[in-house]
Amino acid sequence: MKRSYRSSALLIAFAASAFTAYAPDGITAEPKITVMNPAMPSKLAKRQALSERLDTLEGKTIYLVDIQWGGPEGGYSVLEEMQAWFKENMPSVKTELRRTKDNMFSDDPALWKEIDEKGDAAIVGIAQ
Amino acid sequence: MSRHARSLELLKVPTVALSGSNIVSYAIGYDFKYTNGMPVRYVAVPFPITGQPKAVHKAYVRGPEPLSGKPMMEAIEIALTKPLTAEERVVTTAGDMASIEPRLLPADTEENLQQLFKDREWTDYNPIILPTEERVKRMLTGTSHKADELIRTVTFPGGARDLTVEKVAIHAVMAGAKPKYMPLLLALSTRAPFATSTSSMANTIVVNGPIAKELGMNAGTNAMGPYNEANSVIGRFFTLISKTAGDMRNNVTAWESLGNNLQYNSLTIAENEDLLPEGWQPLHVQMGFKPTDSVVTTGTGWSYISSLGEVQPSYPAHQLIRDYMRALSGSGSGATIFVDPTVAQLLKDVNGFKTKQQLSQWLSENVDKTVASYWGNGVITTSNIAMALQGLEPYATWRKLPGDALIKPFNNPGAIQVVVVGGAVQTTWFATDFRLGRGVLVDDWR
Repeated sequence: MKRSYRSSALLIAFAASAFTAYAPDGITAEPKITVMNPAMPSKLAKRQALSERLDTLEGKTIYLVDIQWGGPEGGYSVLEEMQAWFKENMPSVKTELRRTKDNMFSDDPALWKEIDEKGDAAIVGIAQ
Repeated sequence: MSRHARSLELLKVPTVALSGSNIVSYAIGYDFKYTNGMPVRYVAVPFPITGQPKAVHKAYVRGPEPLSGKPMMEAIEIALTKPLTAEERVVTTAGDMASIEPRLLPADTEENLQQLFKDREWTDYNPIILPTEERVKRMLTGTSHKADELIRTVTFPGGARDLTVEKVAIHAVMAGAKPKYMPLLLALSTRAPFATSTSSMANTIVVNGPIAKELGMNAGTNAMGPYNEANSVIGRFFTLISKTAGDMRNNVTAWESLGNNLQYNSLTIAENEDLLPEGWQPLHVQMGFKPTDSVVTTGTGWSYISSLGEVQPSYPAHQLIRDYMRALSGSGSGATIFVDPTVAQLLKDVNGFKTKQQLSQWLSENVDKTVASYWGNGVITTSNIAMALQGLEPYATWRKLPGDALIKPFNNPGAIQVVVVGGAVQTTWFATDFRLGRGVLVDDWR
């Protein structure tokens, strides 16, 4: 009887070692599962090209436009400082400092039309 | 501002967009790819800009541009004169898909999938229930609507993502919902994603009608706390669906400087309709729904102020609510006052407010703050300056008044809502600046 117990124990030990041989690093393999994807694919925006650039800024009219993000005082003086820089460093550049008519969320087609008719380039911003 | 630059570029005006360095990375990345479609040339200004003295702005202009390291004005000149690259000349006729999102994810272990969901920012970083096909199919039994039905195309913050009934069921599983929750979650999804901003925006969800009891929602003691499965799961669901439908990822599309802890659960409650004082209508009935309708209402705000202690007869609740509301911005005249049923009863019986509307009217007429304090809030200035500049009253007048003049910023009593909630344990309340939208009929989604 004693011998029979020993044989059974050896058999169990062998079986256990044979099973763990299939699991790397001695860790029992976790089953793989398939789940559904919560993500929703995004669509790309329609691409549009930039307009051609200027050869030089010298002698050109540049509009500086504050969209009033953060209010009328938000970043207006950054554009004032740019205007001052042009006057000091590129005096042939004419600058027009403007604000959009409402706020950052509003379009201002009348201003864009004026810039198109009277300006050569624009700097638009700022925040935040 | 990229759309303003785009408008000018389409008129053939070479334009450079100018913004804080925190905004530019979003504008030239996500916004360009999914919303604007034009490779606008940006020049970044060091952050922060607003509130800085003029001397700082001068130093910014005469210093290096943060992205290129070149002098700021040289960067401007380059942006306006450097010839276009081939990439900047690309034109496409229709919006292509940015990526393929297979219906099923590749098979993996539960541990790896939990990590994948976190890595893709699809969770609130608490463990989720993995949405197996079987679980999602079971969830879909909670509604008569087909799995492929389109609820809406989500365009904020760009990307035109299709939100379907099946996607809602997937998120319902992830949040730990039961099939019976589906009609409410589908109705709620019509309001997804929740509002977000660079400011600390938060949201609230108020449920009215029979659905609240059907789902076992808590309208009583601890309604706003972590003591009820339905309140917890519904709020969590709104966070999860908002993050994926809105493709909200930290520092990519989600930019709240401090964030808001209320975004974990969106202050999800049911109104305690059983303990409304006589004459005080439930929120959904105020909106024109029938008492037997089930309705979910969402609101957006920032702030949540507790009364702390019990109501004192010497200084009744409506007066302290008025005082605490002075700390709110008054954005859109929006406020939601959450009052315990005991406070509602006192307001009616002792203070004479026979309806919620009477209390809203009184608050509208009595909450005041100084002009300087009102315009001193950046959200107010950014959003309401337009009305002042257009000459619309009272904003035009408020703009001209001296800083110490008192104004009544909650000038629309219809935007001040009162919701009764709580367990009648203490005479307490919350003043918040949530502006509630129109409720959504849950019964349409059964």
